[in-house]
Amino acid sequence: MANIKFPVVKLDNNKFQVIVDFNLYTKEVVTASIYKFSHLFYIHQQTDADNPNLVNVIFESKDDNTITEDITKQFCNELIDQQLRHNVNAQFGHIRDMIVEEAFKPVNSK
Amino acid sequence: MGYQLLPFRFERFNDTEYLLTNEVGEYIFLQNEDFHRFVDGKIDTHSDLFYDIESKQIATTDKVEDVVSMLATKFRTKKSILRDFTSLHMVVPTLRCNSSCIYCQVARKNRDDHSADMTKQTAKNIVKTIFQSPSPCIKIEFQGGDPSTDFEMVKYIIEEAEWQNLFKKKELDFVICTNLTLLNEKMVKYLKKHNCMISTSLDGPKDLHDTNRPLQDKELDHHAIFEKHLSMIRRIWGNNDCASALMTTSKYSLGRFKEIIDEYVRLGFNSIFLRSLNPYGFAKQYKEKIAYPIEDFIENYKEGLDYIIELNKKGTFFVEGFAALLLRRMLTPFATGFVDLQSPAGVGIAGVIYDYDGSVYVSDEARMMARFKNYYFRLGNVNENSYQEMFNGELLHRIISSACTECLPACVDCVFQPYCGADPVRNMSEQGDMIGFRPTNEMCKKTKSIIHYLFELLHKHDPEINRIFWSWLN
Ligand code: SF4
Repeated sequence: MANIKFPVVKLDNNKFQVIVDFNLYTKEVVTASIYKFSHLFYIHQQTDADNPNLVNVIFESKDDNTITEDITKQFCNELIDQQLRHNVNAQFGHIRDMIVEEAFKPVNSK
Repeated sequence: MGYQLLPFRFERFNDTEYLLTNEVGEYIFLQNEDFHRFVDGKIDTHSDLFYDIESKQIATTDKVEDVVSMLATKFRTKKSILRDFTSLHMVVPTLRCNSSCIYCQVARKNRDDHSADMTKQTAKNIVKTIFQSPSPCIKIEFQGGDPSTDFEMVKYIIEEAEWQNLFKKKELDFVICTNLTLLNEKMVKYLKKHNCMISTSLDGPKDLHDTNRPLQDKELDHHAIFEKHLSMIRRIWGNNDCASALMTTSKYSLGRFKEIIDEYVRLGFNSIFLRSLNPYGFAKQYKEKIAYPIEDFIENYKEGLDYIIELNKKGTFFVEGFAALLLRRMLTPFATGFVDLQSPAGVGIAGVIYDYDGSVYVSDEARMMARFKNYYFRLGNVNENSYQEMFNGELLHRIISSACTECLPACVDCVFQPYCGADPVRNMSEQGDMIGFRPTNEMCKKTKSIIHYLFELLHKHDPEINRIFWSWLN
Protein backbone atom coordinates (compact mmCIF):
# COMPACT_ATOMS: atom_id res chain seq x y z
CA MET A 1 0.00 0.00 0.00
CA ALA A 2 2.76 2.39 0.97
CA ASN A 3 3.98 2.39 -2.62
CA ILE A 4 0.64 3.46 -4.09
CA LYS A 5 0.73 7.12 -5.05
CA PHE A 6 -1.73 9.40 -6.73
CA PRO A 7 -0.34 10.32 -10.16
CA VAL A 8 -0.31 13.97 -9.15
CA VAL A 9 2.72 16.23 -9.41
CA LYS A 10 3.00 19.77 -8.06
CA LEU A 11 4.64 22.06 -10.61
CA ASP A 12 6.00 25.57 -10.24
CA ASN A 13 3.70 28.63 -10.38
CA ASN A 14 0.90 26.99 -8.42
CA LYS A 15 0.19 24.41 -11.12
CA PHE A 16 -0.63 20.74 -10.68
CA GLN A 17 -0.20 17.95 -13.16
CA VAL A 18 -2.15 14.70 -13.27
CA ILE A 19 -0.65 11.89 -15.33
CA VAL A 20 -3.39 9.96 -17.07
CA ASP A 21 -2.75 6.54 -18.52
CA PHE A 22 -4.56 5.86 -21.79
CA ASN A 23 -4.42 2.16 -21.02
CA LEU A 24 -6.95 2.90 -18.28
CA TYR A 25 -8.95 5.85 -19.60
CA THR A 26 -10.15 6.81 -23.08
CA LYS A 27 -9.68 10.25 -24.66
CA GLU A 28 -13.43 10.99 -24.45
CA VAL A 29 -13.42 10.17 -20.75
CA VAL A 30 -10.51 12.50 -20.07
CA THR A 31 -12.22 15.35 -21.96
CA ALA A 32 -15.55 14.78 -20.20
CA SER A 33 -13.78 14.89 -16.83
CA ILE A 34 -11.87 18.06 -17.70
CA TYR A 35 -15.14 19.73 -18.76
CA LYS A 36 -16.47 19.50 -15.23
CA PHE A 37 -13.51 21.44 -13.80
CA SER A 38 -12.93 23.92 -16.57
CA HIS A 39 -14.97 26.72 -14.97
CA LEU A 40 -12.67 26.71 -11.97
CA PHE A 41 -9.25 26.27 -13.55
CA TYR A 42 -7.33 26.60 -16.77
CA ILE A 43 -6.70 23.06 -17.90
CA HIS A 44 -4.30 21.92 -20.53
CA GLN A 45 -3.54 18.43 -21.82
CA GLN A 46 -0.34 17.34 -23.44
CA THR A 47 0.88 13.94 -24.59
CA ASP A 48 3.93 12.81 -22.64
CA ALA A 49 7.09 13.33 -24.70
CA ASP A 50 8.49 9.91 -23.76
CA ASN A 51 5.36 7.79 -23.65
CA PRO A 52 2.46 8.35 -26.09
CA ASN A 53 0.21 6.30 -23.81
CA LEU A 54 0.38 8.94 -21.10
CA VAL A 55 -1.20 12.35 -21.17
CA ASN A 56 -0.31 15.10 -18.73
CA VAL A 57 -3.31 17.15 -17.62
CA ILE A 58 -2.13 20.45 -16.18
CA PHE A 59 -4.32 22.52 -13.84
CA GLU A 60 -3.60 26.21 -13.44
CA SER A 61 -5.35 28.68 -11.10
CA LYS A 62 -8.06 30.82 -12.62
CA ASP A 63 -9.69 33.88 -11.03
CA ASP A 64 -9.41 33.42 -7.27
CA ASN A 65 -9.61 29.64 -7.29
CA THR A 66 -6.52 28.27 -5.64
CA ILE A 67 -5.61 24.85 -6.84
CA THR A 68 -4.84 22.18 -4.28
CA GLU A 69 -3.86 18.55 -4.43
CA ASP A 70 -7.38 17.66 -3.28
CA ILE A 71 -8.86 19.12 -6.44
CA THR A 72 -6.68 16.94 -8.59
CA LYS A 73 -7.65 13.91 -6.50
CA GLN A 74 -11.30 14.77 -7.12
CA PHE A 75 -10.40 14.84 -10.78
CA CYS A 76 -9.00 11.31 -10.44
CA ASN A 77 -12.34 10.17 -8.95
CA GLU A 78 -14.19 11.89 -11.77
CA LEU A 79 -12.05 9.96 -14.26
CA ILE A 80 -13.15 6.71 -12.64
CA ASP A 81 -16.85 7.65 -12.76
CA GLN A 82 -16.62 8.84 -16.34
CA GLN A 83 -14.78 5.70 -17.43
CA LEU A 84 -17.41 3.58 -15.71
CA ARG A 85 -20.12 5.50 -17.56
CA HIS A 86 -18.23 4.91 -20.78
CA ASN A 87 -17.94 1.17 -20.05
CA VAL A 88 -21.57 0.59 -19.13
CA ASN A 89 -22.67 2.72 -22.07
CA ALA A 90 -20.76 0.40 -24.34
CA GLN A 91 -22.93 -2.42 -22.96
CA PHE A 92 -26.30 -0.72 -23.33
CA GLY A 93 -25.89 2.24 -25.70
CA HIS A 94 -27.42 0.24 -28.54
CA ILE A 95 -30.37 -0.68 -26.31
CA ARG A 96 -31.00 3.00 -25.61
CA ASP A 97 -31.08 3.63 -29.37
CA MET A 98 -33.52 0.74 -29.81
CA ILE A 99 -35.84 2.15 -27.12
CA VAL A 100 -35.90 5.61 -28.67
CA GLU A 101 -36.37 4.25 -32.17
CA GLU A 102 -39.21 1.99 -31.06
CA ALA A 103 -40.85 4.78 -29.01
CA PHE A 104 -40.96 7.22 -31.92
CA LYS A 105 -41.87 4.70 -34.59
CA PRO A 106 -45.19 5.61 -36.27
CA VAL A 107 -47.83 3.37 -34.68
CA ASN A 108 -49.13 2.01 -37.99
CA SER A 109 -45.71 0.93 -39.29
CA LYS A 110 -45.61 -2.10 -36.98
CA MET B 1 -22.54 -12.01 -16.49
CA GLY B 2 -25.96 -13.60 -15.95
CA TYR B 3 -27.84 -10.43 -16.77
CA GLN B 4 -27.95 -7.64 -19.32
CA LEU B 5 -27.51 -4.07 -18.14
CA LEU B 6 -30.24 -1.76 -19.42
CA PRO B 7 -29.64 1.96 -20.02
CA PHE B 8 -29.16 3.88 -16.78
CA ARG B 9 -27.32 6.91 -15.42
CA PHE B 10 -25.61 7.10 -12.05
CA GLU B 11 -24.06 9.50 -9.58
CA ARG B 12 -22.49 9.18 -6.14
CA PHE B 13 -25.46 10.28 -4.01
CA ASN B 14 -23.60 10.45 -0.68
CA ASP B 15 -20.51 8.85 0.85
CA THR B 16 -22.01 5.38 0.95
CA GLU B 17 -24.52 5.18 -1.89
CA TYR B 18 -24.99 5.60 -5.60
CA LEU B 19 -28.24 6.74 -7.19
CA LEU B 20 -29.22 5.10 -10.47
CA THR B 21 -32.00 6.31 -12.75
CA ASN B 22 -33.20 5.03 -16.08
CA GLU B 23 -34.63 6.62 -19.21
CA VAL B 24 -38.21 6.54 -17.96
CA GLY B 25 -37.51 7.94 -14.51
CA GLU B 26 -37.30 4.75 -12.39
CA TYR B 27 -34.65 4.98 -9.68
CA ILE B 28 -32.81 2.91 -7.11
CA PHE B 29 -30.17 3.57 -4.45
CA LEU B 30 -27.32 1.08 -4.23
CA GLN B 31 -24.62 0.79 -1.58
CA ASN B 32 -21.21 1.56 -3.09
CA GLU B 33 -20.10 -2.05 -2.89
CA ASP B 34 -23.35 -3.35 -4.44
CA PHE B 35 -23.06 -0.81 -7.22
CA HIS B 36 -19.60 -1.98 -8.19
CA ARG B 37 -20.64 -5.63 -8.00
CA PHE B 38 -23.66 -4.78 -10.12
CA VAL B 39 -21.74 -3.13 -12.95
CA ASP B 40 -19.17 -5.92 -12.82
CA GLY B 41 -21.96 -8.44 -13.43
CA LYS B 42 -21.46 -10.10 -10.04
CA ILE B 43 -24.91 -9.82 -8.47
CA ASP B 44 -26.73 -13.12 -7.95
CA THR B 45 -29.76 -13.01 -10.25
CA HIS B 46 -31.80 -14.86 -7.59
CA SER B 47 -31.06 -12.31 -4.86
CA ASP B 48 -33.56 -9.75 -3.52
CA LEU B 49 -31.15 -7.03 -4.58
CA PHE B 50 -31.27 -8.17 -8.19
CA TYR B 51 -35.07 -8.47 -8.12
CA ASP B 52 -35.20 -4.84 -6.97
CA ILE B 53 -32.90 -3.73 -9.77
CA GLU B 54 -34.78 -5.79 -12.33
CA SER B 55 -38.15 -4.41 -11.19
CA LYS B 56 -36.80 -0.93 -11.98
CA GLN B 57 -35.81 -2.12 -15.46
CA ILE B 58 -32.16 -1.28 -14.92
CA ALA B 59 -31.05 -4.82 -15.75
CA THR B 60 -32.78 -7.90 -17.06
CA THR B 61 -32.47 -11.65 -17.47
CA ASP B 62 -35.30 -11.65 -20.04
CA LYS B 63 -35.06 -11.29 -23.79
CA VAL B 64 -33.84 -7.77 -24.47
CA GLU B 65 -36.40 -7.19 -27.25
CA ASP B 66 -39.27 -7.70 -24.79
CA VAL B 67 -37.86 -5.24 -22.27
CA VAL B 68 -37.10 -2.74 -25.04
CA SER B 69 -40.70 -2.88 -26.10
CA MET B 70 -41.92 -2.17 -22.55
CA LEU B 71 -39.43 0.64 -22.00
CA ALA B 72 -40.28 2.14 -25.38
CA THR B 73 -43.97 2.26 -24.44
CA LYS B 74 -43.12 4.02 -21.19
CA PHE B 75 -40.73 6.40 -22.95
CA ARG B 76 -43.36 7.18 -25.53
CA THR B 77 -45.85 7.95 -22.74
CA LYS B 78 -43.35 10.22 -20.97
CA LYS B 79 -42.75 12.13 -24.18
CA SER B 80 -46.37 12.15 -25.31
CA ILE B 81 -46.60 15.89 -24.73
CA LEU B 82 -44.63 16.23 -27.98
CA ARG B 83 -47.39 14.62 -30.00
CA ASP B 84 -49.81 17.54 -29.87
CA PHE B 85 -47.34 20.34 -30.61
CA THR B 86 -48.00 23.91 -29.39
CA SER B 87 -50.93 24.15 -27.01
CA LEU B 88 -50.06 27.18 -24.86
CA HIS B 89 -50.50 30.43 -26.78
CA MET B 90 -49.68 33.56 -24.79
CA VAL B 91 -51.01 36.82 -26.18
CA VAL B 92 -49.99 40.35 -25.21
CA PRO B 93 -52.91 42.68 -25.99
CA THR B 94 -51.05 45.69 -24.62
CA LEU B 95 -47.96 46.71 -22.69
CA ARG B 96 -49.95 49.14 -20.55
CA CYS B 97 -49.86 48.48 -16.83
CA ASN B 98 -50.76 50.23 -13.57
CA SER B 99 -48.04 48.53 -11.52
CA SER B 100 -44.35 49.24 -11.28
CA CYS B 101 -42.97 45.93 -10.03
CA ILE B 102 -39.33 46.14 -9.03
CA TYR B 103 -38.48 43.11 -11.18
CA CYS B 104 -40.67 44.08 -14.14
CA GLN B 105 -39.42 42.34 -17.26
CA VAL B 106 -41.26 44.17 -20.00
CA ALA B 107 -40.97 47.74 -21.21
CA ARG B 108 -44.37 48.55 -19.71
CA LYS B 109 -46.35 51.62 -20.78
CA ASN B 110 -48.37 53.96 -18.64
CA ARG B 111 -52.11 53.50 -18.66
CA ASP B 112 -52.73 56.42 -21.02
CA ASP B 113 -49.97 55.51 -23.48
CA HIS B 114 -51.57 53.52 -26.31
CA SER B 115 -48.41 53.16 -28.39
CA ALA B 116 -48.13 49.45 -27.60
CA ASP B 117 -51.76 48.38 -27.99
CA MET B 118 -52.68 45.54 -30.32
CA THR B 119 -54.80 46.31 -33.38
CA LYS B 120 -57.85 44.25 -34.28
CA GLN B 121 -56.22 43.10 -37.52
CA THR B 122 -53.21 41.77 -35.63
CA ALA B 123 -55.49 40.09 -33.08
CA LYS B 124 -57.43 38.42 -35.89
CA ASN B 125 -54.23 37.14 -37.50
CA ILE B 126 -53.00 35.85 -34.15
CA VAL B 127 -56.16 33.85 -33.58
CA LYS B 128 -55.94 32.52 -37.13
CA THR B 129 -52.35 31.41 -36.49
CA ILE B 130 -53.24 29.85 -33.15
CA PHE B 131 -55.91 27.69 -34.72
CA GLN B 132 -53.48 26.32 -37.27
CA SER B 133 -51.71 24.51 -34.44
CA PRO B 134 -52.39 20.77 -34.71
CA SER B 135 -52.93 20.56 -30.95
CA PRO B 136 -56.41 19.35 -29.94
CA CYS B 137 -56.14 21.55 -26.82
CA ILE B 138 -55.57 25.26 -27.08
CA LYS B 139 -54.94 27.48 -24.09
CA ILE B 140 -54.87 31.22 -24.74
CA GLU B 141 -53.18 33.08 -21.92
CA PHE B 142 -53.33 36.87 -21.79
CA GLN B 143 -50.11 38.49 -20.63
CA GLY B 144 -49.00 42.08 -20.49
CA GLY B 145 -48.45 44.74 -19.32
CA ASP B 146 -51.64 44.03 -17.49
CA PRO B 147 -54.20 42.81 -20.02
CA SER B 148 -57.04 44.23 -17.94
CA THR B 149 -55.89 47.71 -19.06
CA ASP B 150 -57.18 46.79 -22.53
CA PHE B 151 -60.09 44.59 -21.61
CA GLU B 152 -61.89 45.35 -24.88
CA MET B 153 -59.06 43.66 -26.78
CA VAL B 154 -59.15 40.69 -24.41
CA LYS B 155 -62.88 40.35 -25.15
CA TYR B 156 -62.28 40.68 -28.88
CA ILE B 157 -59.70 37.86 -28.85
CA ILE B 158 -61.85 35.59 -26.68
CA GLU B 159 -64.81 36.01 -28.98
CA GLU B 160 -62.76 35.65 -32.14
CA ALA B 161 -61.26 32.43 -30.77
CA GLU B 162 -64.65 31.08 -29.77
CA TRP B 163 -65.91 31.84 -33.27
CA GLN B 164 -62.99 30.04 -34.92
CA ASN B 165 -63.49 27.14 -32.57
CA LEU B 166 -67.05 26.59 -33.73
CA PHE B 167 -65.39 25.08 -36.80
CA LYS B 168 -62.21 23.66 -35.27
CA LYS B 169 -63.86 22.09 -32.22
CA LYS B 170 -60.75 22.01 -30.03
CA GLU B 171 -60.64 22.00 -26.27
CA LEU B 172 -60.31 25.76 -25.72
CA ASP B 173 -59.26 27.41 -22.45
CA PHE B 174 -58.50 30.98 -21.49
CA VAL B 175 -56.39 32.45 -18.70
CA ILE B 176 -55.83 36.10 -17.90
CA CYS B 177 -52.71 37.10 -15.95
CA THR B 178 -53.51 40.23 -13.99
CA ASN B 179 -52.73 42.01 -10.74
CA LEU B 180 -56.54 42.04 -10.14
CA THR B 181 -56.66 45.69 -9.17
CA LEU B 182 -58.49 46.93 -12.28
CA LEU B 183 -61.05 44.14 -12.42
CA ASN B 184 -64.64 45.08 -11.62
CA GLU B 185 -67.73 42.91 -11.21
CA LYS B 186 -68.79 43.32 -14.83
CA MET B 187 -65.40 42.17 -16.10
CA VAL B 188 -65.32 39.22 -13.74
CA LYS B 189 -68.80 38.14 -14.80
CA TYR B 190 -67.63 38.28 -18.42
CA LEU B 191 -64.56 36.16 -17.59
CA LYS B 192 -66.71 33.66 -15.75
CA LYS B 193 -69.16 33.44 -18.65
CA HIS B 194 -66.31 32.69 -21.03
CA ASN B 195 -64.59 30.37 -18.60
CA CYS B 196 -61.44 32.51 -18.51
CA MET B 197 -59.47 31.57 -15.41
CA ILE B 198 -57.53 34.19 -13.51
CA SER B 199 -53.84 33.95 -12.73
CA THR B 200 -52.45 36.58 -10.45
CA SER B 201 -49.29 37.43 -8.55
CA LEU B 202 -48.93 37.37 -4.81
CA ASP B 203 -45.49 37.89 -3.34
CA GLY B 204 -46.38 37.53 0.33
CA PRO B 205 -47.63 39.61 3.25
CA LYS B 206 -48.64 43.21 2.69
CA ASP B 207 -45.28 44.94 3.21
CA LEU B 208 -43.44 42.48 0.97
CA HIS B 209 -46.09 42.41 -1.74
CA ASP B 210 -46.21 46.21 -1.80
CA THR B 211 -42.41 46.44 -1.89
CA ASN B 212 -42.10 44.02 -4.80
CA ARG B 213 -45.20 45.07 -6.68
CA PRO B 214 -46.10 48.71 -5.92
CA LEU B 215 -48.85 50.37 -7.93
CA GLN B 216 -47.86 53.40 -9.99
CA ASP B 217 -50.40 55.47 -8.06
CA LYS B 218 -48.62 55.59 -4.72
CA GLU B 219 -51.83 56.59 -2.94
CA LEU B 220 -53.30 53.14 -3.58
CA ASP B 221 -52.77 50.17 -1.32
CA HIS B 222 -52.02 47.29 -3.69
CA HIS B 223 -52.38 44.49 -1.19
CA ALA B 224 -55.68 45.79 0.21
CA ILE B 225 -57.21 46.14 -3.27
CA PHE B 226 -55.86 42.70 -4.18
CA GLU B 227 -57.53 41.10 -1.17
CA LYS B 228 -60.84 42.89 -1.75
CA HIS B 229 -60.94 41.95 -5.43
CA LEU B 230 -59.92 38.37 -4.77
CA SER B 231 -62.98 37.87 -2.55
CA MET B 232 -65.19 39.61 -5.12
CA ILE B 233 -63.90 37.23 -7.83
CA ARG B 234 -64.42 34.16 -5.67
CA ARG B 235 -67.91 35.33 -4.71
CA ILE B 236 -68.91 35.74 -8.36
CA TRP B 237 -67.39 32.44 -9.45
CA GLY B 238 -68.68 30.63 -6.41
CA ASN B 239 -65.40 28.85 -5.73
CA ASN B 240 -61.74 29.39 -4.91
CA ASP B 241 -60.33 27.52 -7.89
CA CYS B 242 -61.04 30.27 -10.42
CA ALA B 243 -57.95 32.23 -9.35
CA SER B 244 -54.44 30.94 -8.81
CA ALA B 245 -51.42 32.95 -7.74
CA LEU B 246 -47.72 32.99 -8.57
CA MET B 247 -44.95 34.34 -6.37
CA THR B 248 -41.60 35.73 -7.40
CA THR B 249 -38.67 35.81 -5.03
CA SER B 250 -36.84 39.12 -4.84
CA LYS B 251 -33.96 39.87 -2.49
CA TYR B 252 -36.56 41.15 -0.04
CA SER B 253 -38.33 37.78 0.00
CA LEU B 254 -35.29 35.85 1.26
CA GLY B 255 -35.66 34.67 4.84
CA ARG B 256 -39.43 35.18 4.64
CA PHE B 257 -40.71 32.05 2.89
CA LYS B 258 -42.70 30.92 5.95
CA GLU B 259 -44.53 34.25 6.08
CA ILE B 260 -45.17 34.08 2.33
CA ILE B 261 -46.61 30.58 2.64
CA ASP B 262 -48.73 31.64 5.63
CA GLU B 263 -50.14 34.49 3.56
CA TYR B 264 -51.13 32.08 0.79
CA VAL B 265 -52.86 29.85 3.34
CA ARG B 266 -54.60 32.84 4.97
CA LEU B 267 -55.96 33.96 1.61
CA GLY B 268 -57.38 30.52 0.87
CA PHE B 269 -54.89 29.27 -1.71
CA ASN B 270 -53.97 25.60 -1.46
CA SER B 271 -50.76 25.74 -3.46
CA ILE B 272 -47.74 27.90 -4.16
CA PHE B 273 -44.98 27.73 -6.76
CA LEU B 274 -41.81 28.98 -5.10
CA ARG B 275 -40.14 30.77 -8.01
CA SER B 276 -36.74 32.34 -8.24
CA LEU B 277 -36.20 35.56 -10.11
CA ASN B 278 -35.30 35.09 -13.73
CA PRO B 279 -32.46 37.09 -15.22
CA TYR B 280 -34.29 38.89 -18.00
CA GLY B 281 -35.46 42.45 -18.40
CA PHE B 282 -35.03 44.92 -15.61
CA ALA B 283 -34.03 42.17 -13.26
CA LYS B 284 -30.71 41.85 -15.06
CA GLN B 285 -30.11 45.61 -15.22
CA TYR B 286 -30.87 46.06 -11.55
CA LYS B 287 -29.29 42.82 -10.45
CA GLU B 288 -27.51 44.40 -7.52
CA LYS B 289 -30.71 45.79 -6.10
CA ILE B 290 -33.07 42.85 -6.30
CA ALA B 291 -31.19 39.71 -7.34
CA TYR B 292 -29.27 37.21 -5.19
CA PRO B 293 -27.03 34.18 -5.58
CA ILE B 294 -29.01 31.11 -6.64
CA GLU B 295 -27.62 29.27 -3.60
CA ASP B 296 -29.63 31.63 -1.37
CA PHE B 297 -32.81 30.75 -3.23
CA ILE B 298 -32.07 27.03 -2.92
CA GLU B 299 -31.63 27.30 0.86
CA ASN B 300 -34.86 29.28 1.17
CA TYR B 301 -36.65 26.83 -1.07
CA LYS B 302 -35.65 23.87 1.10
CA GLU B 303 -36.81 25.66 4.26
CA GLY B 304 -40.06 26.59 2.52
CA LEU B 305 -40.64 23.02 1.40
CA ASP B 306 -39.95 21.68 4.91
CA TYR B 307 -42.43 24.18 6.29
CA ILE B 308 -45.07 23.15 3.75
CA ILE B 309 -44.53 19.48 4.67
CA GLU B 310 -45.03 20.43 8.34
CA LEU B 311 -48.27 22.25 7.47
CA ASN B 312 -49.51 19.15 5.67
CA LYS B 313 -48.55 16.97 8.62
CA LYS B 314 -50.69 19.20 10.81
CA GLY B 315 -53.66 18.70 8.50
CA THR B 316 -53.51 21.66 6.06
CA PHE B 317 -53.49 20.36 2.50
CA PHE B 318 -51.07 22.66 0.71
CA VAL B 319 -48.93 21.89 -2.36
CA GLU B 320 -45.57 23.25 -3.50
CA GLY B 321 -45.96 23.30 -7.28
CA PHE B 322 -42.35 22.77 -8.39
CA ALA B 323 -41.86 19.81 -6.05
CA ALA B 324 -45.19 18.35 -7.21
CA LEU B 325 -44.08 18.59 -10.85
CA LEU B 326 -40.75 16.90 -10.16
CA LEU B 327 -42.31 14.23 -7.94
CA ARG B 328 -44.77 13.37 -10.67
CA ARG B 329 -41.77 12.78 -12.93
CA MET B 330 -39.94 10.79 -10.27
CA LEU B 331 -42.82 8.67 -8.99
CA THR B 332 -45.25 8.16 -11.86
CA PRO B 333 -45.06 7.02 -15.48
CA PHE B 334 -47.18 9.94 -16.66
CA ALA B 335 -46.24 12.73 -19.04
CA THR B 336 -45.80 16.15 -17.51
CA GLY B 337 -45.73 19.15 -19.76
CA PHE B 338 -44.00 22.15 -18.28
CA VAL B 339 -42.78 24.60 -20.88
CA ASP B 340 -39.85 25.81 -18.79
CA LEU B 341 -38.45 22.38 -17.91
CA GLN B 342 -38.85 19.69 -20.50
CA SER B 343 -36.77 17.90 -23.09
CA PRO B 344 -36.86 18.78 -25.91
CA ALA B 345 -37.42 22.28 -24.54
CA GLY B 346 -40.99 23.55 -24.72
CA VAL B 347 -40.03 26.77 -26.50
CA GLY B 348 -42.18 27.18 -29.62
CA ILE B 349 -43.30 23.55 -29.66
CA ALA B 350 -45.26 23.58 -26.39
CA GLY B 351 -45.72 27.30 -25.76
CA VAL B 352 -45.34 30.46 -27.77
CA ILE B 353 -46.01 34.16 -27.27
CA TYR B 354 -47.59 36.72 -29.61
CA ASP B 355 -46.55 40.29 -28.86
CA TYR B 356 -48.85 43.31 -29.26
CA ASP B 357 -47.41 44.04 -32.73
CA GLY B 358 -47.89 40.45 -33.97
CA SER B 359 -44.29 39.34 -33.45
CA VAL B 360 -44.04 35.70 -32.46
CA TYR B 361 -41.42 34.62 -29.91
CA VAL B 362 -40.65 31.12 -28.70
CA SER B 363 -41.22 32.08 -25.06
CA ASP B 364 -41.99 34.99 -22.79
CA GLU B 365 -38.30 35.25 -21.94
CA ALA B 366 -37.49 35.49 -25.65
CA ARG B 367 -39.89 38.42 -25.88
CA MET B 368 -38.10 40.07 -22.98
CA MET B 369 -34.76 39.66 -24.74
CA ALA B 370 -36.26 41.44 -27.74
CA ARG B 371 -36.91 44.49 -25.56
CA PHE B 372 -33.15 44.71 -25.34
CA LYS B 373 -32.74 44.41 -29.09
CA ASN B 374 -31.94 40.71 -29.14
CA TYR B 375 -34.33 39.22 -31.72
CA TYR B 376 -32.68 35.84 -31.99
CA PHE B 377 -35.75 33.93 -30.83
CA ARG B 378 -38.33 35.78 -32.95
CA LEU B 379 -40.05 33.29 -35.24
CA GLY B 380 -41.71 35.94 -37.39
CA ASN B 381 -44.83 38.08 -37.40
CA VAL B 382 -48.42 36.95 -37.87
CA ASN B 383 -49.02 39.88 -40.23
CA GLU B 384 -46.19 38.83 -42.53
CA ASN B 385 -45.38 35.15 -42.12
CA SER B 386 -47.30 31.94 -42.60
CA TYR B 387 -47.78 29.35 -39.88
CA GLN B 388 -45.44 26.99 -41.73
CA GLU B 389 -42.72 29.61 -42.03
CA MET B 390 -42.81 30.28 -38.31
CA PHE B 391 -43.48 26.87 -36.79
CA ASN B 392 -41.73 24.65 -39.31
CA GLY B 393 -38.95 27.05 -40.20
CA GLU B 394 -35.23 26.55 -39.99
CA LEU B 395 -34.95 28.69 -36.82
CA LEU B 396 -37.30 26.61 -34.68
CA HIS B 397 -35.69 23.41 -35.93
CA ARG B 398 -32.28 24.78 -34.98
CA ILE B 399 -33.45 25.87 -31.54
CA ILE B 400 -35.07 22.55 -30.71
CA SER B 401 -32.14 20.49 -31.90
CA SER B 402 -29.99 22.41 -29.38
CA ALA B 403 -32.42 21.81 -26.58
CA CYS B 404 -32.54 18.11 -25.72
CA THR B 405 -31.01 17.24 -22.36
CA GLU B 406 -30.52 13.71 -23.71
CA CYS B 407 -27.57 15.04 -25.70
CA LEU B 408 -26.41 18.30 -24.09
CA PRO B 409 -22.90 18.31 -22.59
CA ALA B 410 -23.02 17.19 -18.93
CA CYS B 411 -26.77 16.55 -19.10
CA VAL B 412 -26.07 13.53 -21.25
CA ASP B 413 -24.85 11.54 -18.28
CA CYS B 414 -26.57 13.41 -15.46
CA VAL B 415 -28.50 11.13 -13.16
CA PHE B 416 -31.31 13.72 -12.92
CA GLN B 417 -31.74 14.01 -16.68
CA PRO B 418 -35.06 12.06 -16.85
CA TYR B 419 -36.67 14.70 -14.61
CA CYS B 420 -35.01 17.79 -16.02
CA GLY B 421 -35.27 19.98 -19.10
CA ALA B 422 -33.44 22.40 -21.34
CA ASP B 423 -33.92 26.12 -21.75
CA PRO B 424 -32.01 27.46 -24.78
CA VAL B 425 -33.38 30.98 -24.29
CA ARG B 426 -32.11 31.20 -20.76
CA ASN B 427 -28.79 29.68 -21.77
CA MET B 428 -28.42 32.31 -24.46
CA SER B 429 -29.38 35.12 -22.11
CA GLU B 430 -27.14 33.99 -19.25
CA GLN B 431 -24.28 32.24 -20.98
CA GLY B 432 -24.19 33.53 -24.53
CA ASP B 433 -25.27 30.45 -26.50
CA MET B 434 -28.14 27.99 -26.63
CA ILE B 435 -26.14 25.04 -25.34
CA GLY B 436 -24.92 26.73 -22.16
CA PHE B 437 -22.24 25.55 -19.78
CA ARG B 438 -23.67 23.34 -17.06
CA PRO B 439 -21.00 23.66 -14.34
CA THR B 440 -21.87 27.35 -13.91
CA ASN B 441 -25.47 27.27 -15.07
CA GLU B 442 -27.82 28.66 -12.41
CA MET B 443 -30.87 26.85 -13.70
CA CYS B 444 -28.93 23.58 -13.56
CA LYS B 445 -27.71 24.30 -10.03
CA LYS B 446 -31.22 25.02 -8.85
CA THR B 447 -32.84 22.00 -10.50
CA LYS B 448 -30.08 19.65 -9.43
CA SER B 449 -30.19 20.78 -5.80
CA ILE B 450 -33.95 20.60 -5.57
CA ILE B 451 -34.19 17.15 -7.17
CA HIS B 452 -31.37 15.97 -4.90
CA TYR B 453 -33.29 17.27 -1.89
CA LEU B 454 -36.49 15.54 -2.98
CA PHE B 455 -34.55 12.29 -3.31
CA GLU B 456 -33.17 12.81 0.20
CA LEU B 457 -36.70 13.19 1.48
CA LEU B 458 -37.95 10.13 -0.41
CA HIS B 459 -34.96 8.14 0.80
CA LYS B 460 -35.96 8.72 4.42
CA HIS B 461 -38.83 6.29 3.82
CA ASP B 462 -40.94 8.40 6.16
CA PRO B 463 -44.52 7.15 5.60
CA GLU B 464 -45.93 10.56 6.50
CA ILE B 465 -43.78 12.42 3.95
CA ASN B 466 -44.55 9.81 1.31
CA ARG B 467 -48.27 10.11 1.99
CA ILE B 468 -48.05 13.90 1.61
CA PHE B 469 -46.07 13.67 -1.63
CA TRP B 470 -48.53 11.20 -3.13
CA SER B 471 -51.46 13.41 -2.08
CA TRP B 472 -49.90 16.17 -4.20
CA LEU B 473 -49.96 14.01 -7.30
CA ASN B 474 -53.66 13.30 -7.39
S1 SF4 C 1 -29.49 20.82 -16.54
FE1 SF4 C 1 -28.21 20.08 -14.86
S2 SF4 C 1 -29.62 18.89 -13.55
FE2 SF4 C 1 -30.59 19.12 -15.56
S3 SF4 C 1 -29.99 17.29 -16.73
FE3 SF4 C 1 -28.53 18.92 -17.22
S4 SF4 C 1 -26.83 18.58 -15.79
FE4 SF4 C 1 -28.61 17.47 -14.97
